[in-house]
Amino acid sequence: MADRGTRYRFGLVILILIGLHFYLRPRLWDARIAPDFFMLALMLYAIRTRPGNAAVAGFLVGITADALTPARFGAGALAHTLVGYLAAWGRAVFFADNLLVHAGFIGVGVWLRNFVVLVSSGASARQVFVNLVTWSLLQALTTAVAGVITLIVFRDWLSIRLDE
Amino acid sequence: MLPAPDRSHTNRDTTLFLICIIISGAFLFTPPPQADAVATFVRGTVLLPLVELQQRAEEGKTSRSRFRALQAERDSLVAKAQALPVLEAENARLRRLFSLRERLATPFVAAEVLHQAQATDGLTLLLSSGSDDGVAAYQPVIAPEGLVGVTRAAERRASTATTWAHPEFRASAVTNDGEVSGIVAPFFQASTGAPLLELRGVPYRDSVPPGTLVLTSGLGGVYPKGIPIGTIAGVARESAGWERVYVVRPMVNPGSVSHVLILTGALRRPVSDAFPPDSGPDG
Repeated sequence: MADRGTRYRFGLVILILIGLHFYLRPRLWDARIAPDFFMLALMLYAIRTRPGNAAVAGFLVGITADALTPARFGAGALAHTLVGYLAAWGRAVFFADNLLVHAGFIGVGVWLRNFVVLVSSGASARQVFVNLVTWSLLQALTTAVAGVITLIVFRDWLSIRLDE
Repeated sequence: MLPAPDRSHTNRDTTLFLICIIISGAFLFTPPPQADAVATFVRGTVLLPLVELQQRAEEGKTSRSRFRALQAERDSLVAKAQALPVLEAENARLRRLFSLRERLATPFVAAEVLHQAQATDGLTLLLSSGSDDGVAAYQPVIAPEGLVGVTRAAERRASTATTWAHPEFRASAVTNDGEVSGIVAPFFQASTGAPLLELRGVPYRDSVPPGTLVLTSGLGGVYPKGIPIGTIAGVARESAGWERVYVVRPMVNPGSVSHVLILTGALRRPVSDAFPPDSGPDG
């Protein structure tokens, strides 16, 4: 069980990521490929917590995303809940202490989230396909890179085991 | 890979997961007015500071771009600075927006588009102006090139808009010469990789040549007459002896638009004079 100091430091990292999402991300490139710091925060939380808690965190992040992009209210909540739960479950079942595995986890999480959001929003099959092989892929990549940087910079604060 | 000994997958986790999934599913099937009310409440309370933070970031980005553009004009290195395509595009877009403001007789409110990370951004947009500025639901949203969409809900300092790319978007349209009318709706063509529009309900006897400008007709009580929607790109499909459906290349790309105007006034006056003939599709 993490001590109080570790939890505070982890909370601070999450707050920094939320701040970056709303203040830095709008200044970065095209919004469709800029890293999703909010999703990154969810994935980092999911990696170090229980699946149930990750599902609840995913639900809250999803409601936030739905409120800001209400194309189909509930689609984001469904997608983030699913991804949060699966990420925590996958991490609980398998060790993944490698930096690249973490990056892959984050990238796949973003891509899967976009897939579920698009499908549950009623987008056409062609629209889903094109989005997944273009914008979603690039967003997954940039978010994974942002995740690697975050893990390296805040390695001690996050209390996530990484192989040397 | 080995099973981790320090984690357990309990019934509590499964229960929490199922509860969240059920609530999400319930939201998915909630009627739009109720869902919008929840979204508006969340944006207007918990998310208000975060939306304002993003608004400042967008303003900072715009101010910085404008400052650089003006500085570049005065600077002897103007050519080098203006070679930056992003600054050039931003500068041109703002200049066109200012020109459009001067030409519009209908009351309007300017707003910045606060793009989000979710994949459905572009189907709906979060705008930086709200009911404090006079924005309400069902007001047309336009860019210098033409129609972007219509406002969906407004809270005090922000609002949301449904764009023409949204599956539920429909608008009554007419060709530039007034000869052919129909309904425009979104249409996705995999070969171009981008959403387009289609003009439906055109009688089979009427043919529209490619390149013809399509405008809002003013029918329906939402959009005033004369807002450019797009140009005819070709025939999408036809029902022999009944109707033709045309592909329309939209004027505006909602995924990349950064500044818009929301028409807040009465919709009786046509706005076609506000759009110069050289308005072209937005890159």
